Amino acid sequence: MGRSELSILNGVDITIATGETVSIVGESGSGKTTLLGLLAGLDVPTEGAVWLDGAKISDLDEDERARVRGRAVGFVFQTFQLIESLTSLENVMLPGELRGDSTARADALNYLDRVGLKDRTTHYPRQLSGGEQQRVAIARAFASNPKVLFADEPTGNLDTATGGKVADLLFDLNKEDDTTLVLVTHDQSLAERCDRTYTMSAGEFQT
Amino acid sequence: MKLKLVLKLAARDWKSGELRLLVVSILVAVGTVTAITMFVSRLQVAMEHESAAFLGADRVISSNEPIPDLFREEAESLALTLSETVTFPTVVTSPVEEARTQLASVKVVDEKYPLRGELRVADVPFGEHRATQSVPAPGSVWLEPRLFPALNVTQGDYVGIGHAELRVDKVLAVDPNRGGSMFDMAPRVIMRAEDIAATQVVQPGSRLEYRLLLAGDLKTLNTYFEAVRENLSRSIRWRDVRGTEARIRRSLERAERFLLIGGSLAVLLAGVAIALSAHRYALRHFDHVGILKTLGATPNDVLWGYMLLLAILGIIGVSAGIVVGTGAHFVLVEVLQNYFPIELPPPALSSFTLGVATGGICLFAFALPPMLALKKISPLRVIRRDVPVEPVSAIVTYGCAIGGSLALLVWYSGNVFLTFILLIGIVIVSTLFGTVALVLLRGSRVVGMHAGSAFALAVAGLQRKYKQNVAQILIFGLALMMLLILFLVRTTLIEGWRAQIPEDTPNHFLMNVTKEQVDGIEAMLEEYVDSGGDLVSMTSGRVTHVNDMPVREYQRNVRSWGEGPRLSSGRQLTWMEELPEHNRVVRGEWWEPGSEESLVSVEEEYAGSWGLDLEDELTFDVAGIERKVRISAIHAVEWESLNPNFFYMFSPGALEDMPAMYMTSFHIPDEHKPVLVDLIYEYPTVTLVDIDAIITQVQLIIDRVTQAVEWVMYLIIGAGALVLIASIQSSRDQRMQEHALIRTLGGTRKLVLGSLVTEFAVMGTIAGLVAVCGAELTVYLVETHLLEMEHELRPEYWAIGPVAGALLIATVGYLGTRKLVSAPPVRVLREL
Repeated sequence: MGRSELSILNGVDITIATGETVSIVGESGSGKTTLLGLLAGLDVPTEGAVWLDGAKISDLDEDERARVRGRAVGFVFQTFQLIESLTSLENVMLPGELRGDSTARADALNYLDRVGLKDRTTHYPRQLSGGEQQRVAIARAFASNPKVLFADEPTGNLDTATGGKVADLLFDLNKEDDTTLVLVTHDQSLAERCDRTYTMSAGEFQT
Repeated sequence: MKLKLVLKLAARDWKSGELRLLVVSILVAVGTVTAITMFVSRLQVAMEHESAAFLGADRVISSNEPIPDLFREEAESLALTLSETVTFPTVVTSPVEEARTQLASVKVVDEKYPLRGELRVADVPFGEHRATQSVPAPGSVWLEPRLFPALNVTQGDYVGIGHAELRVDKVLAVDPNRGGSMFDMAPRVIMRAEDIAATQVVQPGSRLEYRLLLAGDLKTLNTYFEAVRENLSRSIRWRDVRGTEARIRRSLERAERFLLIGGSLAVLLAGVAIALSAHRYALRHFDHVGILKTLGATPNDVLWGYMLLLAILGIIGVSAGIVVGTGAHFVLVEVLQNYFPIELPPPALSSFTLGVATGGICLFAFALPPMLALKKISPLRVIRRDVPVEPVSAIVTYGCAIGGSLALLVWYSGNVFLTFILLIGIVIVSTLFGTVALVLLRGSRVVGMHAGSAFALAVAGLQRKYKQNVAQILIFGLALMMLLILFLVRTTLIEGWRAQIPEDTPNHFLMNVTKEQVDGIEAMLEEYVDSGGDLVSMTSGRVTHVNDMPVREYQRNVRSWGEGPRLSSGRQLTWMEELPEHNRVVRGEWWEPGSEESLVSVEEEYAGSWGLDLEDELTFDVAGIERKVRISAIHAVEWESLNPNFFYMFSPGALEDMPAMYMTSFHIPDEHKPVLVDLIYEYPTVTLVDIDAIITQVQLIIDRVTQAVEWVMYLIIGAGALVLIASIQSSRDQRMQEHALIRTLGGTRKLVLGSLVTEFAVMGTIAGLVAVCGAELTVYLVETHLLEMEHELRPEYWAIGPVAGALLIATVGYLGTRKLVSAPPVRVLREL
């Protein structure tokens, strides 16, 4: 259609160590979500390389990247991204089931307990409040025992009070499980809870 | 993905209704195919049985010599039922005072005759008749009605056949096995095989026809045919039902083809429904797949998971389809049982195979391609909804659909040409009308400005998503088109059949009338017959020269190979003052009344096959006298009409003076039939042939075939409705989302509903237009090439198409979306 090439990220160089918590902040359209997608192996860069958990994921094909994600990565999204047709328990069991773990159910129950939703296991996402849905999503993210947790605006769809509680939960679980956390957010106060903060503008890091 | 997970997801989707339409579509495809195939297979056999009555058997072996024992032995070893007949012409005498004689066709039968159909007897000649299971007892004969006056005998008298004297027992009203040959004109006598020796008529050189009648199931009959095939020859001939009667054969073949067209259309319609519901299902699962992929599911996990899901759905749909199809076929049979006095044979097992295969092919060709898109869904979709879905290549999608349709159609109909016609029709119509619909939708902007708000909203909606809407119009259009094709072809078929045998079709032939008897007989018949009854002359003659060239030389010059009637053979000639009914002049001109010129009119096909044309001069040998005539007209005849038809019709001046016998055909109502007894008493030398039985039989078969055709049509209308529902469902989500938004912004329910109905009505109108044009085109091809019928345009449907389309689609659309429009908009938004 005659579109010209558009570079979304330029000269981005970032290394995140195990156990670190890192936040990426910036205006809408600054490229932070694109960066998150690349770091998590949801997408591949047109140029440059991405390493995740010892694998050069920018060279892997979709099948191999999926395996890396299944083994090492957890996600929390702004829009929760629960499967509507499954109950909270079933949603949390998904990563374990995909891996074929026999302990998927026990693990899921454990994490639902830890996010305080022990009595909501048979509820469908539609029957839960926004905050509860995000807690299910957090339980699901930790249930896969990830080495890195990627969170995309985890409190963006929640009111301040609920958002605060969800954020507390996220950081607490992160500390308990000794997980690496990469957080994309608008929310300066949330960003400040991380060890390091990167600010993006027009596809580049601002120093 | 793991089986358990797939099952769990499938169960959830089933509960939420997402998979139901898909499974129901498979069910309908499989069910329709199973029901139609089963029903048709039984009907075919039933119709064959019905026609078998004409043969008096399922199959017949005939010969002018005694049939060799090996045919009998082979049949007995296969446990086929056998009966044997011998037919010969002989003079029957009545030993009463003023002894009379009459040439008759005597049939010698055994006690098993006939194997199919039934003999009918009456108490008095030309009286009411009834079926009988018996045959004449040894020592007695049954005579056809006209033999009673001709021989001046009554029941209980004796008649002489050869050296034997046999007692006249019953009046033979119908011998099913007259072979349908109307020109086996001598009256029938049937007697028992036990008496044949006493007659001493079987001598070397006698003109005898031996027949071995066979009955059994189709498979055994085929095995038998294969076994004896190489022993068949020109003198030992094999006859089956289809060889018996042109009218029935053609009706049966057309009906079969119609049922096959119907079945093929049903499969295609269901295929479209499957594709649509699979597409909708896949669309609704883009996000699911995105999530599953972020959680570590690989593209192949996704692919195999959804294939597994399809396989499970396939098994459910196919099993349910088989059950429902079998049930539907039993309902059909139950409903039609009243019309079928004969028992239907059990359904063929192959119906199940075909049903299962249909399900499999439908899934593979129509449901799989949309699912392939799921494999390619980017996990990035969970953070960025705008990530485009990489579409499955058009080659794969259309290739699968077209390939699958071809495979199904060819297999189902066994007819490559039919398949070709249907696909061509669909492709032409889709391309042409896709363009037209596109132009209409994009051009309707002006209309929208001037219209009321619901209409404006509808038009805006139609334009905004014109690409999707064009696709939907095409699907509506194709579904309507297929229904229309079926309806139009059915109407032509049934009208054609009815026209073939109108109420006043002649039911008697009268022959061997002398010139002196003509006036008396015409006067006698005039009062009682409904139609016909005008006697025409018949003189034997043959062509000797064409344009002064000897006919054999001429014949060789035209073509050396010969099929059809020869030019040099003897023909029945007639002369006519006026062009008879059921004939028309296709070229040249019919002569003026009272013309003295020696002119002739030649039948169109015959003239064409021998290169004869207007102005050619033919020389005839008529009873040793040479007659030279000029061809002044070429005429066409309806061979199927039961009227005297001729290859050559002379002008009065050319043949009038020649010695001739006269004949006629006429229809006489039952209540006037006794007058025929008087006629034969008064004119004992004439030959009267009653073909009422044949006519009734043909009518019976046609009525049943008509019933079957109508029922199949209802089945397919069901499949068509399903496509409409699937198509409306597939676009429902997006429509509903938009309309819920409009309602949140203050739009009334009335506005939204009005706009939805208008949208569907506009699409229905265009679809109706597409359907009418496509149907005319396809029907034209089907009728002219497949059913070998005349095609007539049907302008009366051109308006009905769009109107019916608008009403139908608007109604189905309204019913499909009504519930959502009544629900609070927030709930609608949340549910989608």
